[in-house]
Amino acid sequence: MTGPAPADLDVTPARPSFWRNLSLVWLVPVLALVVSLGLAWNSFAQRGVLIEITFASASGISPGETTLRFRDVTIGTVEDVGFTPDLASVVVKARVNKEVAPFLDADAQFWVVSPKVSARGITGLSTVLSGVYIEGAWDKVAGTPLRSFIGRDAPPLVQPGREGKRITLISDNGRLLAEGAPVFFRGVEVGRLERPRLTVSTDMIVVDAFIEAPHDRRMNTATRFWDTSGFEVSLSGAGLSVDFDSLSSLVAGGVEFDSIYEGGTPVSPGYVYTVYPDEGDARKSLFLRSTAASVDIAAEFGESVSGLEPGADVRLGGLKVGEVVAIAAQVQETEFGPELRPMARLAIEPDRLGLPRGAGREATLDFLETAVAAGLRAQLATTSLFSRALVVDLVNAPDAAPATFQRDAEPLPILPSAVSNLPDFTATAEGVFERINALPVEELIEQAINTLASVEAVARKDSLLTLPDTVVALLEDARAVVNDEATRALPGEIRGAVRDLRATVQDFNDSEAIAKLVLALDKADAIATNLAQASESVPELVEELRAVAQKANALKAEDLIAAATQMLDSAEQVIGTEAARALPASLNAALDQVRGALDELRSGGAVENANATMASARDAADALAEAAAGLPDLSARLDRLAAQAETLLSAYGTRSDFNKETLSALREVRDAARAVSQLARALERDPGLLLRGR
Amino acid sequence: MENAGRPQEFLTARRAGLVGCRHCGVAHPAGTMHCSRCGSALASRDTRSLQHVWAWLVAGMIAFVPANIYPMLLTTTFGKTTENTIVGGAIDLLLHGEVAIAGIVFFASVVIPIGKFLAIGYLALSVRRPTAIRGHSRQRLYEVVEFIGRWSMIDVFVVAILTALVQLNFVAAINPGIAAICFALSVAFTMVSALSFDPKTLWDAYETDTA
Repeated sequence: MTGPAPADLDVTPARPSFWRNLSLVWLVPVLALVVSLGLAWNSFAQRGVLIEITFASASGISPGETTLRFRDVTIGTVEDVGFTPDLASVVVKARVNKEVAPFLDADAQFWVVSPKVSARGITGLSTVLSGVYIEGAWDKVAGTPLRSFIGRDAPPLVQPGREGKRITLISDNGRLLAEGAPVFFRGVEVGRLERPRLTVSTDMIVVDAFIEAPHDRRMNTATRFWDTSGFEVSLSGAGLSVDFDSLSSLVAGGVEFDSIYEGGTPVSPGYVYTVYPDEGDARKSLFLRSTAASVDIAAEFGESVSGLEPGADVRLGGLKVGEVVAIAAQVQETEFGPELRPMARLAIEPDRLGLPRGAGREATLDFLETAVAAGLRAQLATTSLFSRALVVDLVNAPDAAPATFQRDAEPLPILPSAVSNLPDFTATAEGVFERINALPVEELIEQAINTLASVEAVARKDSLLTLPDTVVALLEDARAVVNDEATRALPGEIRGAVRDLRATVQDFNDSEAIAKLVLALDKADAIATNLAQASESVPELVEELRAVAQKANALKAEDLIAAATQMLDSAEQVIGTEAARALPASLNAALDQVRGALDELRSGGAVENANATMASARDAADALAEAAAGLPDLSARLDRLAAQAETLLSAYGTRSDFNKETLSALREVRDAARAVSQLARALERDPGLLLRGR
Repeated sequence: MENAGRPQEFLTARRAGLVGCRHCGVAHPAGTMHCSRCGSALASRDTRSLQHVWAWLVAGMIAFVPANIYPMLLTTTFGKTTENTIVGGAIDLLLHGEVAIAGIVFFASVVIPIGKFLAIGYLALSVRRPTAIRGHSRQRLYEVVEFIGRWSMIDVFVVAILTALVQLNFVAAINPGIAAICFALSVAFTMVSALSFDPKTLWDAYETDTA
C-alpha cells in the first residue's frame, strides 16, 4: 500500500439524451427570438400599404420625414422619392395605414400642403415649421383599392365626398377667373372655381366650378353666369356707377349666377355654361339664346354709322326686336357710279315682332315687306343725349320717300332706311352750347359788379340819404299846392273868366258892336267924306271918333288874352313842374296821392268844368274868330278912314289944334285897329292853347 | 522548447479525483453531490455551461438585430420627429464631420457587441476544438470580454440620460426607441453569456490533448 491512491474514477461521461441534457436556459433565446419575430411581425403587420403618388415635383418632400395625412391625422410616411422611368415626374412612395388602404380608390386625391398666401388668406401655416406634408382626401365608400395615384398640384377645391354639383364654365377671358375664385349666388358664396384651362382647339377658357350641395339645385337651364371680378366704373346718362362685389373677388375674381327667367329645367353635373362679361350681358343673353331662330336682313344707311356697333339693339317702338350682327360697307351701283354705302346686318327675331311662335323666315320677310310698304324704315338713333352709341330704330315714316323692301337682294334682303335726325340734333345741341358759350357772361357780371359798385357809391352819398326826405317834402308841397283851396278854385275861376269872356264876346256879338262899328265907321266915312266937304263939324266928329276908339281900346282883349295865357302857364307850372314830372314814376305812394288829388279834382267836376270851360272858350274863340273875321275889314276901313282923314287933314295944312287932335285921334284909331288885329291873331292862336291847357 | 505550445503535464483536481465547492472551496471526493459544508451542488465541470453560453449568446444576437433595425432615439423638434437607428446616428455624425464621435459611437455600439459575439462564440467553440491559440491567450480574451461587457451599455446610458434631460415639449423631446431596449437586452444577454462561460473548460482541451 503506497498511501492513498486516487480512487478509480468513473470517467465515463454521462451521455444522456440530447433532450434530457437540454438546459432550460435555451428558453431565453427562444423567447428573445419570439419577441423579436413578434416585433418584426408587428411592424410588418402595421407597416401598411405602399402606394405610389406621382407629382410634378417633390417640393419639400423628404423620405422618412414627410408624412401622409388624412383630415390632419398622420396615416403614413413617405418612404421613397424617385422618378418615373422617363424622369418626367416624381414618384413618391408612401406607406399608409392598413385601415385607410381600402378607401384609396379611384377618387382618392393627394396634394402637397405647403404654406400659401393668397388673396383669400393664408393656408398651410403649420407647415412652416414642420415641413410640408401630403394631404389625402377620399370619400366615405371603400372601392377597389389602387396603389398608384396622380398627385394634384394644389388642394382640390372640393374634397371628395362633398355634396354638390360640378359644372363647366366657358369664358373668353380668363384674366380674372383665378383658381379658387368664389362663385356667388346673389352675393353669397356657394362654390369655387377650379383652375382655368385654355382649350387646345379653341381660344376659350374652360374652368370647372363646384357648387355646394343645397345651392346646386338653383342651377338650371335658365341660369346664367357672369363675371363679377374687378370693379366696374360706368359713366352714362344715368350717372357714374362704381360696382364691385367683395374685396376677395376684387383681387381674385369671381363669378355670379342667377336664373334670369322662369322655368329652367335642372341640369346634370358637367353642364356647360358661358360666363358673360357682366350681368347686363348675361341678361341680354336671353336674346342670344334664340338668335339661331332669327332672320337676318340688311339695312343700308346713307349716312355715317359711326357709333353703331355689333350688338346694338334693333328697336321697334322702343322694344328690342333684334340686334345688329355686323356692320360692313357695300358697293352699290347707282346712276352716279359705284357708291360705297354702309350696311348693317340685323338679326330680327320673329317672336319679338309679334309674329306667331315658330314663324319662319318667309313669314318674317312678308311682314317686313308689308310694313315697308306702309312706311317702315330703318333709322339710326342715339340711346341717350350724351352717348354716341347708336341703335337702329324701325320707325314708321309714312311721308318718307317711297322705297321697297328688296326681298331678293343678295346676300340679304335690304330694308330701306330713313335719314336720321341725328346730325341735326347734334348740330342744334352744339349751336345751343356754342351760344351759351358765347354769352358775355363775364362782361355782364363785370358790368353788374360795376353797376352795383356805382349804386353802392351813390347810396353811400350823404345827399342821397336825404333825397327821400326831399322827395317827400316836395310831394308834400305838391300835394299842398294841389290841395290848396286856391288851386282847387282855379278851374272855377278859369271857368268864371272864360264865362265872362264868353259873355263879353256874346255881348260884343249881341250888341252887334262890330256891325255898329262898321256902320259907325261907314258913317264916319260918310262924315269924313262930308267933312272933306264941310269941315266944320270935324272936331266933334273927331271927338266922337276918339271916344269910339277909346271904347274899342278899352275892350282890353289883349290883356285878357295875356292874362289867360299867363294863368294857363301857371296852371301848367303847377301841374307839370320839373320835379313833379321827374318823380312820379318811381314813387307810387306819392303818385297815388297825386292821383287821389286828381280824382278829387275829377270828382269835384273840375275836369268836366274844365272841359266845359274849354268848350265855352272854344265857342268864345269861334265867336271871336267870327268877329275877328270882320276885324280886318274894319281895320281896312279904319285905315282907309284914317288915310282919308289924313288926306283931309293934310288938306288943312296947318298945325292947328284941330289938326293935332285929329292926328292923335287918328293915331288912336290906328292903335285901336292894331289892337283889334292883334286880338284877332291871338284868338286865332288861342283855341289850341286853351284846348291843350297850355 | 519544442513543446512550447503544449501545456505541461500537471495534476488537476479532476485528475486527482476531487471536486471543489465553488462557493466555500471545500474539496470533496469526486462524485459527492452536495457540499458537506455549504450544501451547494458540486460538480467538477459545469456540463451545461456551454449550453448556457450558447443560449445567452444566441439570445443576445437575436436581440441585437432589432436593436439595429429599429430606431434608437426618437427626436422630436418642433413637431417634426426624426428616428435614428444606431448606425444611422453614427452616419449622421460622420456626415456632420464629427468623425471622432462617430467613431466612438460606432465602436461602442457596433464593433464591441459584434466583437463580443465573435469572441464568445470563438471561445465556446474552442472548448471542444483545440486551436492554435494558447490557453493563456484564450484566457486573456475571456477576461477582456468579461471586462468590457459592462461598458457596452454606454449607448443605453446615453439614451436614458438624454431622455431624462430633453423633455421640452414642443421644442424638443427625445424618447427611447425600441432599439434601446433591444440593445440593452442584447448587452445583458451577452454579459450573462460571458459569465456563464466556465474558463476551466478552456484548459480541459489540453487535458484531452495530452491525454
